[in-house]
Amino acid sequence: MGLPNYQIDQDQLVAQMKAREADAFSYLYDNYSAAIYGSISRIVNDVDVAQEVLQDAFMKFWDKIDQYDSSKGRFFTWMVNISRNLAIDKLRSKEMKKVGKTDTLETYVSGIERDHLNHLSIDGIGLKETLSSLRDEERFILEMVYFKGYTQSEISEEFDIPLGTVKTRLRMGLKNMRNVLQVE
Amino acid sequence: MNIEEYISSGILEAYVMDQLSPAERTEVETMATAHPEIRKELEKIELSMESLAFATAVTPPADIKDKLMAQVASAPAAEKATPVVEMKPEGSFGMLRFAAAASLIVALGSAIMAFNYWYKWQSAEDRLASLIAQNEQFADNYNQVNQQLDDIQNAVAIMNNTAYKRVVMNGTDNSPESQATVYWNEATADVYLSIQNLKALSQDQQYQLWAIIDGKPVDAGVFDPNGSNFLVQMKNIGPNAAAFAVTIEPRGGSENPSLETMQVVGNV
Repeated sequence: MGLPNYQIDQDQLVAQMKAREADAFSYLYDNYSAAIYGSISRIVNDVDVAQEVLQDAFMKFWDKIDQYDSSKGRFFTWMVNISRNLAIDKLRSKEMKKVGKTDTLETYVSGIERDHLNHLSIDGIGLKETLSSLRDEERFILEMVYFKGYTQSEISEEFDIPLGTVKTRLRMGLKNMRNVLQVE
Repeated sequence: MNIEEYISSGILEAYVMDQLSPAERTEVETMATAHPEIRKELEKIELSMESLAFATAVTPPADIKDKLMAQVASAPAAEKATPVVEMKPEGSFGMLRFAAAASLIVALGSAIMAFNYWYKWQSAEDRLASLIAQNEQFADNYNQVNQQLDDIQNAVAIMNNTAYKRVVMNGTDNSPESQATVYWNEATADVYLSIQNLKALSQDQQYQLWAIIDGKPVDAGVFDPNGSNFLVQMKNIGPNAAAFAVTIEPRGGSENPSLETMQVVGNV
């Protein structure tokens, strides 16, 4: 598994984006929109709203590219955090209040399998197996943080789990996940 | 801090997921600069997150790209130099601005009123102070006038008292224009002097009044010609005075009169 090996170097992509090259933007969308859209739609359930957030996110990548600082992390991390924050903002705005964070991780995983299978469809199935190999408490934290957009302190408060425990479980969950995904 | 402990604390995951406060973020960045193993761990976490995102990718509807490309293309090149300013939500910001403006107006109004009252108070203080000063001035004047009235009443009482003998002293050849009057009560020995006309003297000189008893001059006290008192009380002079005279003497008076300086003289 791992990252798509056809992608051009992220630094090069950033440089072209900063030069306002529309081709770079097109390339960015082609290669990252699915990963970004997946992150957004796990937080925002409504398809129309998720698409709106996706558009907002990509316009923000384009408009705020000068604010990206490669010394502070990978370009993808920057993008996915912008997207997640936009999605969470949208989720918390009045119009989204009634939707809530109710669906379970299973819904998402089966949703990925059933509806939106794309070039990484096999990975989608693999993810389910990966997640099921985690311990329940690790999977729960991972699900809440990564798939639902909770902050660590929100989980701590809402589910009455010490913040340190939340952090440790998230870390162990990610670590185990990393092992299964064989990221190095 | 132990690097292993720091890595396993979970703060790096929170950093990658943008869940830290600015202070915590700075701390992680400092640690990552100082310790290559932390930098490496951060990269690992980022890559695993990235893998997870790609593993759970969902292809969006095709028309979204067209809309985005149109938006990017429509942005004029000149806009590149224009920084994008994020708009704040109007509602709360508008309220905040209104509240700020309102409180500013209230503060300004209070300041103006406070200054106004301070100014009024200050000028009232000033007027009160000047009234008090005036009042004191009037009181002084009244006391002075009252004192003068007392003096005049006493003088009139003495002049009208038949027990006092009135001795008019006229100018000698030394000073023919000069004149003074002595009121002498032979029984009580009280002597009062009233000056009608005596010339001014230098600072080291004084007039001295003498009574002539049995042909000999007796000191009756010194005085200044410009005294404000209507009547000046002099030294007591016993019975048998035949005449009174005034000479010019060194300040403080003399034991024996300098007769050549005699200004006025009058017989009883």
